[in-house]
Amino acid sequence: MATRSMNRQMNPGFYKLSGRAGANKRSLKIDAPLMLSLFCLAVYGLMVLFSASGENITDVERQAAAIVVAFVVMIGIAQFEVDFFRRGALLMYVGGLGVLIITLLFGSEVNGATAWLDLPGLPSFQPSELEKFLVPMMLASYMSNRSLPPRFKDLLVCAVIILLPSALILLQNDTGTALMVAMSGIFTVLLAGISWRIVFSGAALLIMASPAWYIFLAKAHQKNRILTFFDPYRDPTGAGYNIIQSQIAIGSGGVQGKGWLNGAQSQLDFIPESNTDFILAVLAEEFGLLGVLFLVTLYLAVLARGFYIALTAQDSFGRLLAGSIILTFFFYAFVNMAMVSGLMPVVGLPLPLVSKGGTSIVTLLIGFGILMSIHTHKRVLPR
Amino acid sequence: MAEKFKLNDHERDTLIFNRRMIVAGVFIFLLISALIAWMVYLQVYRYDYFAARSDGNRLHSQYVAPNRGLIYDRNGVLLADNRPIFNLTVVRETASNLDVSLDLLRSVIDLSDDDIEQYRARQSRRAVPHTSVPLRYQLSEEEMANIAVNQHLLPGIAVEAQLVRHYPFRERASHAIGYVSEINKDEMTAMDADTAANYRGTHQIGKTGIEKTYESLLHGQVGYETVEKNNRGQVMRVLDRTDPIPGRDIVLHMDSRLQAAAEKALGDKRGAVVAIDPATGGVLAMVSKPGYDPNLFVTGISRAQLADLNRSGHTPLFNRAIASRVPGSTIKPFIGLAGLYHETITPETVISDPGYFRLQGRTRPYYDWTWWVDKSGHGAIDLRRAIYQSCNTYFYQLAVELGIEKIHDYLLTFGFGENHAIDIPEASGGIVPSEAWKMENRGEIWYPGETPYEGIGNGIFQATTLQMAAAAAAIANHGVLRQPRMLRGTIGSDGEETDVIFPDNAASQQLLPSQEQIELVRNAMVDVVNKPYDSEHRRHEGSAYPVLRASGEPLLYPMGGKSGTAQVVQFQVDSAGNRDDGEVAEQFRTHAMFIAFDASEHSRIAVAVFVENGGGGGTVAFPVARAVLDAYLVPEQDTFTEVSVVHNDH
Repeated sequence: MATRSMNRQMNPGFYKLSGRAGANKRSLKIDAPLMLSLFCLAVYGLMVLFSASGENITDVERQAAAIVVAFVVMIGIAQFEVDFFRRGALLMYVGGLGVLIITLLFGSEVNGATAWLDLPGLPSFQPSELEKFLVPMMLASYMSNRSLPPRFKDLLVCAVIILLPSALILLQNDTGTALMVAMSGIFTVLLAGISWRIVFSGAALLIMASPAWYIFLAKAHQKNRILTFFDPYRDPTGAGYNIIQSQIAIGSGGVQGKGWLNGAQSQLDFIPESNTDFILAVLAEEFGLLGVLFLVTLYLAVLARGFYIALTAQDSFGRLLAGSIILTFFFYAFVNMAMVSGLMPVVGLPLPLVSKGGTSIVTLLIGFGILMSIHTHKRVLPR
Repeated sequence: MAEKFKLNDHERDTLIFNRRMIVAGVFIFLLISALIAWMVYLQVYRYDYFAARSDGNRLHSQYVAPNRGLIYDRNGVLLADNRPIFNLTVVRETASNLDVSLDLLRSVIDLSDDDIEQYRARQSRRAVPHTSVPLRYQLSEEEMANIAVNQHLLPGIAVEAQLVRHYPFRERASHAIGYVSEINKDEMTAMDADTAANYRGTHQIGKTGIEKTYESLLHGQVGYETVEKNNRGQVMRVLDRTDPIPGRDIVLHMDSRLQAAAEKALGDKRGAVVAIDPATGGVLAMVSKPGYDPNLFVTGISRAQLADLNRSGHTPLFNRAIASRVPGSTIKPFIGLAGLYHETITPETVISDPGYFRLQGRTRPYYDWTWWVDKSGHGAIDLRRAIYQSCNTYFYQLAVELGIEKIHDYLLTFGFGENHAIDIPEASGGIVPSEAWKMENRGEIWYPGETPYEGIGNGIFQATTLQMAAAAAAIANHGVLRQPRMLRGTIGSDGEETDVIFPDNAASQQLLPSQEQIELVRNAMVDVVNKPYDSEHRRHEGSAYPVLRASGEPLLYPMGGKSGTAQVVQFQVDSAGNRDDGEVAEQFRTHAMFIAFDASEHSRIAVAVFVENGGGGGTVAFPVARAVLDAYLVPEQDTFTEVSVVHNDH
């Protein structure tokens, strides 16, 4: 057992898991099980993408390049001390808000949302994506200095921390990301032990307010999505087309699937957005129920490792941040799968690590980099 | 104190967090279970439904139109064939913004409002969804290139090749062959279910003539194709195919060279010529003038083109060969035969012709045509001379003595009064009047004063040029009438022609006179053309002989015939019996008729010529009939070598 004085020396030799005897202090701080799961997911995703993009090898190469970059970034981030994130949380949070404002003012518009920032020399990226970590980080940092469960005053501060970036992202006209950022914050607060009474009354309030939202606030396309969710066949060639074709693809895949590159729905372009948001339909058609179960298993493997990391984290900050990141990840994957299969209204969310899109993968793996950092930079604390 | 509190706090924090993580885990377990259950529902429980939906998405049945059978003349000359054209087509379901596409098309190809209007009409009667509908036919190479360049802006619009009917000789025999044109709504609703299914891939149907009569032979059997299409409607693969069975190629009795000669002989005159092979009833030529180019109709005639066709006012689409007319004196041989059959007269019966005929007890004279030349009449005249001299008085009297009922019954045996052609259903049946007919059709009794006119073919009786040709053929064939027919045979897959056997209806031939009586009339008709001027006997030459002599070209074969002149309006006759001939407007001029036949033992051809408002039958119609017989019977005629295929390039 280490002593307090040793701890205060900040000896790098202690910055490792106590169980890992003989590990080199200069060794890369990575978490092998998490890496492996993520790697399997990425490879599986590339296979599906190759089929979904109409056997376009260029798309696959670009995606593979993004994955390599993302892994490098993840490993890089994993080398930072957890303290770095805790101490830097406020700075990064404020900086993030600044970038959001800049994006709002100077960003370029894609699909109606002013969410992209084009910086010279860099691929265009979506600063709001990073908020999914910055908000939990800020919250965890704030709450780690206080005892859990958070008191009412703390909750108000938390609410402000969540609402500021969410509101800015809403202003960018990117409802989906705003919701996800808010959710990542809410997860943190939930894990921090917010009283169930508040949770339930908040949920009840949301449910009661939703008709009012639907009537007074919801935009036409949002109403349309909800109506389409309840009855895709009200406009089978328009609003309902995506979900109908996607369900046909999934259902016709059966247990074993039609085989890689043999999905009629996918290969004949009946599935719109087949290489981005609706890529699960391609997977389900070509690899069947078994393929879906395999995907879910891989996600659960990542999830399980994330849970383990969160549960074994050394302090509140690590726990809350890791828990929030892993829950957000699961939420992403679940919402995408639920919407593509028709369990939920359509919201524009990619399937993590499978859908085409470099930014999404890089930001995702930044999160896992933080997870690894939490797991691999442990001080030996006195008991 | 503070230190200890913090440590306790730390454990409490862990506990709270761990509990929350467990709750989250349970939630996740529930959500994942729900998702998997849903996936199982979709992929296992409803697999059959979605698999069928998926196939329904991609698999489409297409109909493959059979190639239409070709039409040959008796010498193997192609009268109607198929040729590929390239059409602009629209699949309405995939044409997302048709109006924009049409605007663009208008700027790159020649696309008129008329085209678009016709397209909309076709679209409205399309039966099978997701099939293409022609927007414009016969794109030029340049237009196809312009479309290809803009293809990405034209969703649902494609260029498709199609085989369409083509009539290489254009106007030649256009009325007899007819034409195909787009199937219209009435024709579609008239089809029974099987026929409608057979026409799923077919755009055109026979509208007139042979094309219509033998539609079922020519059309063939539709084929099917199961294709895989992507969501833009492009065919990716053909998965299954049942080939269409092409229509039967058919051979007509028609002789294309004779047809051309007959058309040339008629020239620019309005009228009709029908030539028949007496031994078979086969129609060797069927001319109606003015004609039209049937190719105009195949892919839909535009209003402007139709207006152009009708501009003359001479109804070029109307088939004059099968329209009934008052036949004039060409009926006389048949009235004569009726007299012989009923023994009202014998070959030796002689009457005295003062130049007119009077009904017993009546004062009104029925004039002979000689009355307008001089007022001496034919004098004593028998049947043979009455025929070759075309004596009206003889036939006025014979008609009266026979009575309308006997005339009626007898004329039926020569195919008059009904359309007895086997495969020309559009032909008129003509009129053979009787007391009953008149009561039924005009609500009047038969007046005795009408009967004399029936004897000379200027009464109520009407016959088509086709019927006159068939009747002439019966005389040429020694009294045996053959029903006129167009089709000679069909060509099998081995390329060999199989003759078509039609059941011949000989029942109506029961009133035939004896061979001697037939030969008398036949010979009298030979005299019409050949009997020269006889100085001893006034008016003993054949009525057509002067024209033959004037031509300076002697006949190279025995020819029989009979002229006829049908009055269009009644001439004004003054109290002294003088006719006001004056200037007669063209449309009131008499119709000129001539029936003729090859008078050899085994007659090879009989002809009927009708020249609308032509004037006298002998002077106007006889040369046409002769030219037709010459073309058929005299080898090495110029008209024989003049077979040139005219390619249609419009």
